[in-house]
Amino acid sequence: MTIPAVQPNRLPRGGRIDRTRRLAFTFDGKPCEGFAGDTLASALIANGVSLVGRSFKLRRPRGIVGSGAEEPNAIMQIGEGAAAQPNVPATQVELYEGLVARTTRGWPGVSFDVGAINDVFGRVLGAGFYYKTFMYPRSWWRYYEHAIRRSAGFGHAPGEPDQDRYEHMNAHCDVLVAGGGPAGLMAALTAARSGARVILADEQTEFGGSLLASTESIAGAPAAEWIAAVGSELREHPDCTLLSRSTVFGYHDHNFLTIVERCADDGGSSGGGTVEGSPQSAVNPVRERLWRVRARQVILTQGSFERPLVFCNNDRPGVMLASAVSAWINRYGVLPGRRAVVFTNNDSAYRTAIDLADAGAEVAAIVDSRGGGAAELGRRARERGIAVLEGHVVSDLTGRRRVRGVSVAKWYGESRATVSPAIRIDCDLVCMSGGYSPAVHLHSQAGGRLAWDDERLCFLPAESRQANLSAGAGNGSQSLEECLADGLRAGKEAVSRLGLKAVAMSAPATSPFAENPIEALWRVPAARDPDRCAKQFIDFQNDTTVADIRLAAREGYRNVEHVKRYTALGFGTDQGKLGNINGMAVLAETLGKAIPEVGTTTFRPAYTPVSFGVGAGESVGELYDPVRKTAVHEWHEAAGAPMEVVGQWRRPWYFPRNGEDLHAAVARECLAVRNSVGLMDASTLGKIDACGPDVIEFLERIYTHDVAGMKVGRCAYGIMLGEDGMLMDDGVVARLAEHRFYLTTTTGGAANVLGWLEKWLQTEWPDLQVYLTSLTEQYSTLALAGPESRKVLDRLGCNIPLDNDSLPFMTVRQAVLAGMPVTLFRVSFSGELAFEINIASDLALAMWKTLMEAGREFDITPYGTETMHVLRAEKGFVIVGQDTDGSVTPVDLGMNWLLSKNKDFLGRRSLGRPDCVREDRKQLVGLLSSDAATVLPEGTQLIEEPGSPPPVPMCGHVTSSYRSAHLGHPIALALVAGGRARRGETVYAALPKRDPLPVRIVAPVFYDAGGQRQHA
Amino acid sequence: MPGDNVNMPETSERRPRLETLVGTAESVDDARVEIQVLPDRGFLNLRLDPRHDDGIAAAARVLGQALPLAANTFTTGVHRVYWCGPDEWLIDADVERTASLRSELAGALTDCHAAINDVSSGHAAFGIVGNDARIVLAKGCTLDLDPRAFGAGQCARTNLARATVLLAIADDPPGCKIIVARSFADYLHRWLALAARQRDASS
Repeated sequence: MTIPAVQPNRLPRGGRIDRTRRLAFTFDGKPCEGFAGDTLASALIANGVSLVGRSFKLRRPRGIVGSGAEEPNAIMQIGEGAAAQPNVPATQVELYEGLVARTTRGWPGVSFDVGAINDVFGRVLGAGFYYKTFMYPRSWWRYYEHAIRRSAGFGHAPGEPDQDRYEHMNAHCDVLVAGGGPAGLMAALTAARSGARVILADEQTEFGGSLLASTESIAGAPAAEWIAAVGSELREHPDCTLLSRSTVFGYHDHNFLTIVERCADDGGSSGGGTVEGSPQSAVNPVRERLWRVRARQVILTQGSFERPLVFCNNDRPGVMLASAVSAWINRYGVLPGRRAVVFTNNDSAYRTAIDLADAGAEVAAIVDSRGGGAAELGRRARERGIAVLEGHVVSDLTGRRRVRGVSVAKWYGESRATVSPAIRIDCDLVCMSGGYSPAVHLHSQAGGRLAWDDERLCFLPAESRQANLSAGAGNGSQSLEECLADGLRAGKEAVSRLGLKAVAMSAPATSPFAENPIEALWRVPAARDPDRCAKQFIDFQNDTTVADIRLAAREGYRNVEHVKRYTALGFGTDQGKLGNINGMAVLAETLGKAIPEVGTTTFRPAYTPVSFGVGAGESVGELYDPVRKTAVHEWHEAAGAPMEVVGQWRRPWYFPRNGEDLHAAVARECLAVRNSVGLMDASTLGKIDACGPDVIEFLERIYTHDVAGMKVGRCAYGIMLGEDGMLMDDGVVARLAEHRFYLTTTTGGAANVLGWLEKWLQTEWPDLQVYLTSLTEQYSTLALAGPESRKVLDRLGCNIPLDNDSLPFMTVRQAVLAGMPVTLFRVSFSGELAFEINIASDLALAMWKTLMEAGREFDITPYGTETMHVLRAEKGFVIVGQDTDGSVTPVDLGMNWLLSKNKDFLGRRSLGRPDCVREDRKQLVGLLSSDAATVLPEGTQLIEEPGSPPPVPMCGHVTSSYRSAHLGHPIALALVAGGRARRGETVYAALPKRDPLPVRIVAPVFYDAGGQRQHA
Repeated sequence: MPGDNVNMPETSERRPRLETLVGTAESVDDARVEIQVLPDRGFLNLRLDPRHDDGIAAAARVLGQALPLAANTFTTGVHRVYWCGPDEWLIDADVERTASLRSELAGALTDCHAAINDVSSGHAAFGIVGNDARIVLAKGCTLDLDPRAFGAGQCARTNLARATVLLAIADDPPGCKIIVARSFADYLHRWLALAARQRDASS
């Protein structure tokens, strides 16, 4: 890359940049150069770039306005390929070698944008234009939407996977200080010296906040020396964590705050510091870190935002915040213009005029709306030969892609009055200051109230709802002296709230002087009608003007939240940090109300945009969600079984042989179970030990069947209902001893059911003596199913007789099988003779292998979840969550036989509600496709009449559907309104891209309806 | 309960629970943090009413050490006994001793409302040691892990990343034991290895 030799706007000296480290970067493909310590914005200004974007709607050329988080215009696409980041303000990008920045607006380019035609028609593109225009005809919205979406947004999200790493970090502290300016440093120092655990977070690369751009001195020395001294003292405290490049972006309930730390804000190429001042690592794979902090006390010292002034064409490149200009000069050593006009309604901008003059620029005039001008600072400005026009305003501006001059008029202090231009002043830079708005975002997110201050003309933090304090400029402090004193006060207050003793200390000395108060100047009246004059911008990013807000008010919008949504005031990536208060003031004026009556919109996290990557943290790829594996998992993998994702579990789906596909493998596995023997890993079922003197009473209330009547050694199919009477979970209830039961649950219900049972025991029935213990992980369940299954067990050697009389269907025994202790259940989910072997998971793999070996002569076939589904559907066994959806009662499923009439149980009374006894409720039925070939997609809707006009009434839906190898045709289970009484009738399955298919309603049992086989 | 009255055979059939894990995730081992796959232990889950003084005393006699009654603490003797809830403890014992300990406890508590379950197979354990161990854990655990808030002799059932675990801090030797449900062991091991590697790279 060729590097131009000069940075035309770089001052020969000054700033906190490292002039020995030149950094090459590109801007829209053009090679540029900056220094270490630059932001992209300061480097662009140094390179003479003034046009950085086009506005959202009107496509007006825009330049850099601010120097921090408030920047609305310089929104860039940073980096390329997978590491590209859209939506990034250039003011918040730390410059690095090789940075690639692109503008995100303007086609074909930012300097010539065909969309600028919108500006010509700007008058018809007022507030609500989209709502009013794209409503009709309604069916066209799908076309409008495409076009509108293309023109929205800033940049493009990369299509490739993110190569960067992100991580989360949890932290606790006594005091979290948000913002490392003078007040924050003072507060952190006070808290740390008093022995509190402190976290100090600041979004900038170095601590100091506004001091970094200031020429003020502290304790008789440059402020930088004080910052360095405080920094090194805090680093010495073992209980103090210093986070630079770290934005506190969310203040949530219970003093829980979220911070994003930019560890390597350079696409990972150079590595950034993690903790400020720590040695930088050569390899730092973490790009951003999300800190999740629980703080006992929070001190908010986030400073304030300077407000723009509202006048005609105030959005032209070259119009900047006065504070930003001071930052360019003092912090970055760049001079953004040669001949400046400073326009203000308060004293602070005089500093900028002085900074400009001291840096060698010409200050054509300070235009001060106040008749009395500034106090001490006015004297200092005049000393430098700067003309001060008191009682004047800038009313309009010339220049399109760069400001060329301003019109200055006399000001009568009345915004309804028309201003006649009196003087024209040529300039290439306008520095504006409309006063300061404290950054009350976090205070407000925490639920705190705001109070309007009529003297300082801003909203100040009032009562807090959580344990937080505000201090410094964010609390209304206006001078450095006030900031330091307020930081000290907040630090001491936080420490005393913690019950610690605050150390005796005082704030360092500054050299304060008198300032004159700010004057209200919410908009400068135009020479013509405010609704027809040149545009007076309030929200630069959304092109919201004074006329838009007035229009919204005329059209009946009164509430500031409605006006926001109608005019887009305060939307966008900057969330109105620059323009919101001005907008509310204009709305208040239009409505004839006071500003506090209009109020603010709601402050919500995030304070500044946060990447999706850091939200995900480490939970990506193989760590996206836990993968739970059974004790036999490695055997399944070695056998080449594709895995089915069942919640967090991985279960073998089918076991293909010789390249079989799913259908071939499942057909073979099904026939093997029906004709010989198969083996399945059912270990994911939930298992609960329930014991105690009151266990019978407890289970009677939970399950619907007669639990007390179960003899020791008996099993029962048990269902439990929610209080609404709907089927919640099912499983096997086994009575192992007089007062001990073994319960199984569905795979997905394991944790919920245990929680449900504990909830009843702990909160509703504490009198019942029952202890529950989860055994899901302790025992593995191997299901051996098929007519030959008993012979396989006989081969293994079992210490108890396994014949049908000794171990009949639905019984359970402790046994030793192949030398290993097991609990043997004679239960069946396939309809065949079957045994479920529960064994300690440590032995499960050995038992599995032993069974496979013993079953070899019967061609024992491992089978997966798909075959299990087919086998159970052939028998009409439902799966909770597949054939039911939380709105299905046991009666709907034909399970009346399970509902004991001799006791009460959870959900019983709900079953008597009128809605639960309707005869046209959806009921479980079987379906057979008329063509005996079509496998209906699960979820297919069923309709009565194939040709009915839309909306077609639906009478049911398919819940389970499979090809049945044993039966030779497809089968399906469905829920159909009044279905049980409709057996033999035909309904139609609505299928995509083909005619509705007639299907016959049948009983939901397709195989061995008498159940002889499982009793064999 | 399953396995009642039958002692677990210590046959060659039983394989180390985490055998398949060793080597699957990059192990991190340096002065600052080390992740250890711990040898199998036996675990018994005990539920017992803490107000039942006789039962508490009987259990302590069998165990040869007290049941911790203070929340989130554990006692160390021949075994470790972790407080898991007001009426629940996890006993961490030698694998060979577990079955006999279980029957002795059952015998001693026949007159009490109690539940004693062998849950050895359902648990696996990792160790994390080194100066940065707490920092690695803090990436995935929302508890305050500062030694002043969570020090030696304390334990907690909590979440580590997306797994439910029992964390126990010891000082002899110093480090943290992480007991996790068997099926989550592979996931947790991968997470621990990644968290330790990233720590390694970023500090």
